[in-house]
Amino acid sequence: MKLASCSKTYGRRTVLRCPALDFAPGRICALAGPNGSGKSTYARLAAGVLTPDGGGRVADETGVIRYMPQKSFPFRMSVEDNIRLFGGDEQRAEELMKALGLGGLRRQRARSLSGGETARMSLARVLMQPCDLLILDEPTAAMDMESAIAAEKLVDDYRKECGCAVLLVTHDLSQARRMADEALFFYQGELWESGAAETVLYRPEKEETRRFLEFYGGR
Amino acid sequence: MQTALQKAIELILSGDRELANILLVTARTCVSSSLISLLIGVPIGIWLGTGRFRGRQALVVIFRTLMGMPPVVCGLLMYMLFSGVGPFRRFKLLFTVTIMIIAQVVLITPLVIANLETYVSSVADTVRETARGLGFGRWKTLLLLSNECIYPIFSTYLLAFARSIAEVGAVSMVGGAIAWKTNVMTTAIMLYTNRGDFTLGIALGIILIAISLLVNIAVTVMQRRLSR
Ligand SMILES: Nc1ncnc2c1ncn2[C@@H]1O[C@H](COP(=O)(O)OP(=O)(O)OP(=O)(O)O)[C@@H](O)[C@H]1O
Ligand SMILES: [Mg+2]
Repeated sequence: MKLASCSKTYGRRTVLRCPALDFAPGRICALAGPNGSGKSTYARLAAGVLTPDGGGRVADETGVIRYMPQKSFPFRMSVEDNIRLFGGDEQRAEELMKALGLGGLRRQRARSLSGGETARMSLARVLMQPCDLLILDEPTAAMDMESAIAAEKLVDDYRKECGCAVLLVTHDLSQARRMADEALFFYQGELWESGAAETVLYRPEKEETRRFLEFYGGR
Repeated sequence: MQTALQKAIELILSGDRELANILLVTARTCVSSSLISLLIGVPIGIWLGTGRFRGRQALVVIFRTLMGMPPVVCGLLMYMLFSGVGPFRRFKLLFTVTIMIIAQVVLITPLVIANLETYVSSVADTVRETARGLGFGRWKTLLLLSNECIYPIFSTYLLAFARSIAEVGAVSMVGGAIAWKTNVMTTAIMLYTNRGDFTLGIALGIILIAISLLVNIAVTVMQRRLSR
């Protein structure tokens, strides 16, 4: 799936500038970078919920994109209804709820869920149907370790089943290392470094990327 | 005050026919005007809260300003439009309950719009982002957004009802407070007070507040049931 080069400016500040990128089917691409480096902005542009400078679209219209925002909205209904919005497949919903430990919460009002539970519900919701490009903006940031690992496995299975490309925005370096085939590193609104995960996440070329990795005690 | 309370209770128990008529006209006016305002104002409020077109902000400011329109001014405007020299004179609506309802709708609808807009614009972006990310088009997104508005719609209704039942300027101007026809609680209180009958005025005031209390309790219970 090809994404055109794009930029986003608020007022006089350009918060993101990114060259064209290609996301290969069946591969997971991690997107890392410090707070405010433009990760979510890029995810929004790619998902088509934000219009880039100069209008138009970043992704071509042929592929189906599914996107889970950093702040996914729990709709005013039960957990199960949130996952099966407008009559989604019952069996698939059952599978996902079980995998993410939502079975006992199915009848609870979604707005009364805890932060991590809301994130689990949102992930289940976005994985209901196949797509060509799955964009997840820090899906596991609020989850405990056990849920996060379950979520990782679920995303990996989903990718294998429908052969989609995955853009995974994450702060969690060990998660990126576990999951990603490729990696992008954003710094101050620029694509600072990109390439194979083994390079970017272990032996980056740039000083800024190295500093980011060092906070995790990795090298 | 105590005598007024006694009087209020006496009035209710005596089954006074004129009081019954005043209550009926009040109910017809308030319930109709608040519901019609809600029907008109909610869609406009949602549209305004989600819209991203030029002039949106200007419209919001206009409706917020109209929220503060004095009822007498609204009444005067309607009077001029529907009186013997106004452009709408052929409808012959002056001094009827219908024109009272129309005047109140004009008065209250901006309040409904502004109130809904405030709520909708606070959730619209996240709702839209989430819905679009799940592949939903405009209509399903709008449906999901409307579903989020149930609670504020009830609150807004209470506001509309309160303004409707409490105002006197518009209804007296276009309705004329004609006994047995267009006299409502507030205009009746004015009449009795001008006549020097303060006790009766306060007694009506107490009944008015009691009705308001009942409506608020009923709507709040409904709100809690329906917006879980
Ligand atoms: N609507 C907006 N108006 C003005 N500035 C914005 C807007 N949205 C985002 N920004 C700015 O753009 C920059 C990038 O934001 P973005 O949300 O993409 O960061 P991020 O990399 O996702 O950060 P985090 O790790 O905290 O999620 C930030 O500095 C933010 O303040
Ligand atoms: Mg972000």
